[in-house]
Amino acid sequence: MSTEQVNVTINGLSHSLDVEARRTLADVIREDVGLTGTHLGCEHGVCGACTILLDGQPARACLMLAVQADGAEITTIEGLADGDEMHPVQRAMKEAMAFQCAFCAPGFLMSTVALLEENPNPSAEEIRKELSGNLCRCTGYQSIVAGVETAVRLLSSTGTAGVNQ
Amino acid sequence: MSIQTSGLGFVGQSVARIEDDRFLVGKGHFVADVQPEGGLHAAFVRSPFPHATITAIDTSEARRLAGVVAVYSGAELNEGTHPFVPFVASPGSYSPLYKPMADEKVRHIGDPVALVVAESRRVAEDAAELVIVDYDLLEGVGSIDKALAPGTPQLWERADGNTLHDHTDTYGDVDAVFAAADRVVTLTLDSHRQANQPMETRGTVVEVDPATGHLTIHNTSQGPHVLKWAIAAQTVSQGQLRSLWQFLRNTQRRKAFFAAAKEFRRSNAADLKKQDNAAMKGQLKKDRSLLKHLGQMGLGLLAKDDYPTVTSVDIGGGFGSKGPVAREDLPIAIAAMRLGKTVQWIEDRVENLSDGGQAREERFDVEMAVNEDGTMKGMRVDAIVDAGAYPSFPFGAHVLPGMWKVYMPGPYHVEAFQLRTRVVATNKGRVVPYRGPWANETFVRERAIDAVAAELGMTAADVRAKNMMTEHDAPSHFLTGPTIDETMSTRKTFDRALEMIDGDEIAQMKADAKARNHRVGLGIASYHEAAPGPPDFADAMSPGAGMLTKEDGRATVEADGRIVMYTSQVPHGQSHQTTYKQVVADEFGVSMDDVEINWGNTDKSQFSFIGTGGSRGGPLGAGVMRKTARQVKNQMLEVAADMLEASKDDIQILDGNIHVSGVPAHGLSFADVAGEVAKRTGVALGPVFSHAEKYEGVGNGGWSCATHVAVVDIDLDTGKVEIPKYLVVEDCGPIINPAIVDGQVRGGVAQGIGAVFYENTYYDDDANLLTTTYMDYLIPTAMEIPEIEIEHLETLTKGENDFRGVGEGGMIGAPAALTNAVSDALGIQVTEQYLPPSRILELAGVIDPD
Amino acid sequence: MKNPPFIYHRPESLAEALALLAEFGDDAKILAGGQSLLPVMALRLGRPDHVVDIGRIPELLTLDAGPSGTTIGALVRHAEAERSAAIATHAPLVAAAAPHIGHRAIRTRGTLVGSVAHADPAAEMPAVCLALGATMVAASVGGTRLIDAADFHEGYLTTALEPNEILTEIRLPAWPDDAGGAVVEISRRHADYALVGLACIIEVGDGSITGAALAFFGADSTPVRVADAEAVLVGRPPAESAFAAAAEIVSARLDPPSDIHGTANYRKHIAGVLTRRGLAEAAATIGVTA
Ligand SMILES: Cc1cc2nc3c(=O)[nH]c(=O)nc-3n(C[C@H](O)[C@H](O)[C@H](O)COP(=O)(O)OP(=O)(O)OC[C@H]3O[C@@H](n4cnc5c(N)ncnc54)[C@H](O)[C@@H]3O)c2cc1C
Ligand code: FES
Ligand code: FES
Repeated sequence: MSTEQVNVTINGLSHSLDVEARRTLADVIREDVGLTGTHLGCEHGVCGACTILLDGQPARACLMLAVQADGAEITTIEGLADGDEMHPVQRAMKEAMAFQCAFCAPGFLMSTVALLEENPNPSAEEIRKELSGNLCRCTGYQSIVAGVETAVRLLSSTGTAGVNQ
Repeated sequence: MSIQTSGLGFVGQSVARIEDDRFLVGKGHFVADVQPEGGLHAAFVRSPFPHATITAIDTSEARRLAGVVAVYSGAELNEGTHPFVPFVASPGSYSPLYKPMADEKVRHIGDPVALVVAESRRVAEDAAELVIVDYDLLEGVGSIDKALAPGTPQLWERADGNTLHDHTDTYGDVDAVFAAADRVVTLTLDSHRQANQPMETRGTVVEVDPATGHLTIHNTSQGPHVLKWAIAAQTVSQGQLRSLWQFLRNTQRRKAFFAAAKEFRRSNAADLKKQDNAAMKGQLKKDRSLLKHLGQMGLGLLAKDDYPTVTSVDIGGGFGSKGPVAREDLPIAIAAMRLGKTVQWIEDRVENLSDGGQAREERFDVEMAVNEDGTMKGMRVDAIVDAGAYPSFPFGAHVLPGMWKVYMPGPYHVEAFQLRTRVVATNKGRVVPYRGPWANETFVRERAIDAVAAELGMTAADVRAKNMMTEHDAPSHFLTGPTIDETMSTRKTFDRALEMIDGDEIAQMKADAKARNHRVGLGIASYHEAAPGPPDFADAMSPGAGMLTKEDGRATVEADGRIVMYTSQVPHGQSHQTTYKQVVADEFGVSMDDVEINWGNTDKSQFSFIGTGGSRGGPLGAGVMRKTARQVKNQMLEVAADMLEASKDDIQILDGNIHVSGVPAHGLSFADVAGEVAKRTGVALGPVFSHAEKYEGVGNGGWSCATHVAVVDIDLDTGKVEIPKYLVVEDCGPIINPAIVDGQVRGGVAQGIGAVFYENTYYDDDANLLTTTYMDYLIPTAMEIPEIEIEHLETLTKGENDFRGVGEGGMIGAPAALTNAVSDALGIQVTEQYLPPSRILELAGVIDPD
Repeated sequence: MKNPPFIYHRPESLAEALALLAEFGDDAKILAGGQSLLPVMALRLGRPDHVVDIGRIPELLTLDAGPSGTTIGALVRHAEAERSAAIATHAPLVAAAAPHIGHRAIRTRGTLVGSVAHADPAAEMPAVCLALGATMVAASVGGTRLIDAADFHEGYLTTALEPNEILTEIRLPAWPDDAGGAVVEISRRHADYALVGLACIIEVGDGSITGAALAFFGADSTPVRVADAEAVLVGRPPAESAFAAAAEIVSARLDPPSDIHGTANYRKHIAGVLTRRGLAEAAATIGVTA
């Protein structure tokens, strides 16, 4: 068993963790850091439920060893809101009633934040393309696409899609 | 909105979801999030073979691995357990008894043969790889044809020819009707194996109280009461439920038991009398040990003191797959009991794809007797269900014959109908209910109607219009039994759908497509579903079954004035917390924040055989919330009238203010009234007003109806299919929350699209499973699912109005509409439900099969 | 579904990495972006004793695209290639392939070189390398050797690399002025691995095709070129009739596999369709409409 020290910043807080090398970033975020908002739907990279932001870019937390994240800045769903104030993307998804069971929601939210950061005014087609890396079994996606469109509207009045820390 | 609300009118509005306040910030609480301190983790050793005898299991090396706490073979875990018993015995059926773990034989890939408990899931998986299992391979049975072929090995000793059920139901004089009809159109329709695949897999976390041995089980179950029952009853000698002898020696328990039994008999007397015992007798003839095990389950049902507590906060989807008791739940509970420690099992996706529930692999030989003018005279269907290896408890493939026989002729007039259904065992994962489990009756009928139209040279819409019931058919009865009332509104949805289709536009699309080497086609499918259906619906399926389908609920007002509601529903995406608050807030005349909904804890809710499933959440779940709230409100108004020295009829509640009409300034709060009662009775804590009820719906129709219209655009170069238009016209009566209803409809249609064009749980003829990951089981993404247009009709009943269910319909209509559309596009009669691009090009004659 | 145990190494230099591989060779796996290796390990289909994480080796970060050719180091991620203006100009075929590779979150981590080394027959990058006639640079403690793209992929998930070698970079020749390229594919769902795909290049001079490369992926156990079809194009005007002639040869020559996602006949057929579409798209990039 090889244990490694990992220093990561998660949602603005730095953590120094001793983790077994084989463990994924997703497992460490959930079990050691206690942030269970990042979900595991498949653990082999397809469903997108575990999507986080790694140095601002979307990545699968199930397809990364925690040790690979050493030195990185990570944002999870818990890091989007500013205290009790929801992030505009969260507010938008609520307004659009985007989700049902919402098991997929963390991944969609992180992908959406990443998308809007790069492309603040995507077309419906671009939204669908970008979100095709996240599976949702409940909604048929239309409400989620509407949520992204709502977020575009909210953000155009409030500024950037990024994470304010 | 058309229904009466007494307060602020939340019902009928797309009120934003309460649930989202936790979900969207990452604070949902799913089973994998429970993570109790010091909890142990389990991994199963599962069969890599479809069919084999286990000759030896060696767990010694696995036990020696550091971090491993225990390793149990299947036989060790099964010791002292009772098997799963057939819960729904239907005429002509034999359902094998089986234990939670495979011990002598494995019957499908993924069958659990041993269990490792360790400090972490990863170590448990390491150890699972060290368990050595010796198998003698048997021939795998991977298809219906193979299962039924002479000489094929049998999965179950007593299931001759692998047949678990063979029964024919006949309505009307089929032979005469067929003989008199102008012609008979025949076709054989196949649907393929699909899987529910919620994004959250199954899971269970079992905590043991060291002092009492009481179990608290955090679980993904859609039917937690059945789970607690199964665990209590099946693990009797494991200490959870004491032996019968011990049980009877305790006077208090004995008395409670007999009192409960008497009450059960009394309250279900009518249904019990109706039940057809012949079916169960047939079972007993095959296997006498069933009697003992049934007795055990009966005892378990009534011995409530010994129940574990099953609880859940949030569940990540189920679509039926989390309804049946997971076989895995028993060994995990047993391991926790034996170790006296918390043990958890979170299923992974590979396990879920092999053992998490599958459905819909069915074949139908269909004969339609019709006249030249398009009149449907009779329908004769020979159906076979591939049930996989183990019958699900309590509901699985064996409920299909009863549902199909009632539903299959659909919203059309026919004079005679005959259905033979066989259920066969194969070496595949077990069949579970999947969103509208009976859905293929719609696929069969609607596909057959299009075939009839083609043969008669009529349009498919004209054949439907000619035969579909209209509002003038109410009141009457379906040929297959249930009552038709004004809620049987499929015709309205059909007529509206036709109005909304622009024929010229479709014609233009078809013409344009040809120029691009594409083909465009339009498909229609209409149906009705019992949601919950009239009281005689359950009887038509299986006499007396109504006793299983009642829904319990309880309304209370606490001493401090809080409204607290208790439901036996277990939401897993249906937004019950929001919709029930809407309904109850309206009923009381308060804001939604004033209402608390309690769900997901079997200690707090009443027993339910079903939980959440069968589109019950609206009609029965919300219905009983409203009904009990109304009772409690009346209780409160009595007291308030007394306090305000006014007549009860003059009192109204607005925004939580209980006052005499016109004088809101002198009103009382809920706390004032509840406090007064508390003072009078000396009850300072807990409910001061309370009403509980077993609810069967409002007694009238309860049909949900819809028509789907799909337009497909097929690229004849590639076989890829796009869906430029998809319309659902649906009628589920008064709507509580339109956005939530839309979500249910769209989600169902998306699963139907997945079923037809992407998803296939693929077993080869020897029952090797080839779709074990999400790289091969293809759930459609946002790029595959189109915009889905929805038109709501809200037919009210003449009697007391209630909500009607909507959760399953999307999935019922879509495969039929889509296969009809593909047939129209290609100018052929599609006879299979699975249409991947290579198959599309074969059907179009562009390529040859390999 | 958790990774099996292994000993983790994170060399800080290429030399250190090569020394580790020299020592552990057969028992070690190189970890780059992890987007193919980690699923394999999670499914316990692979269980290396040692994992050598090359993610922090500065020498492997090279991305150098210019008029004289392009060099892609082992740590260049798909996302970086997708966004690079230099790649778009000087290695347009790589730019065309990038958006087809999985989803954005996969491309954030996955590397182009890792994809080539992984050798999934349905992957885009190996075919792009084959079409371009790329050169693979393999390093070991014994030194560096160059391998032609045509010799690199030997079979399903199998390459010419030795267990002690790192594929440090891929060198692509200069992109000819008069060439158009396209990457087209058909997959079951958007962004899935291709059922069949095509990376193609045509060079056009004086109104006729002067050179062509057709490299198919998903059509065999390695990426394959169809020389006869390339030959039939040369000398003809870049028009539908030429593309159709090539397509016919492609469908006849290829011998693709059959699986649950598509039959062999289907793959043959769509290989022809993709030939027509890909060539037309490639021609369009240089202003030729077929
Ligand atoms: C959901 C999903 C969808 C995907 N879709 C596609 C797709 O459509 N097309 C596609 O091409 N890919 C797809 N991929 C795979 C992706 O492209 C990977 O990034 C790529 O195949 C491997 O790159 P990597 O850096 O992640 O390699 P790793 O996973 O780190 O390694 C892969 C293999 O290559 C070896 N290796 C890596 N780098 C080197 C090196 N420098 N020298 C020697 N050996 C090395 C490793 O030892 C390992 O055996 C998908 C992946 C996922 C999870
Ligand atoms: S859990 Fe990471 S992609 Fe599914
Ligand atoms: S809302 Fe349930 S999976 Fe997306």
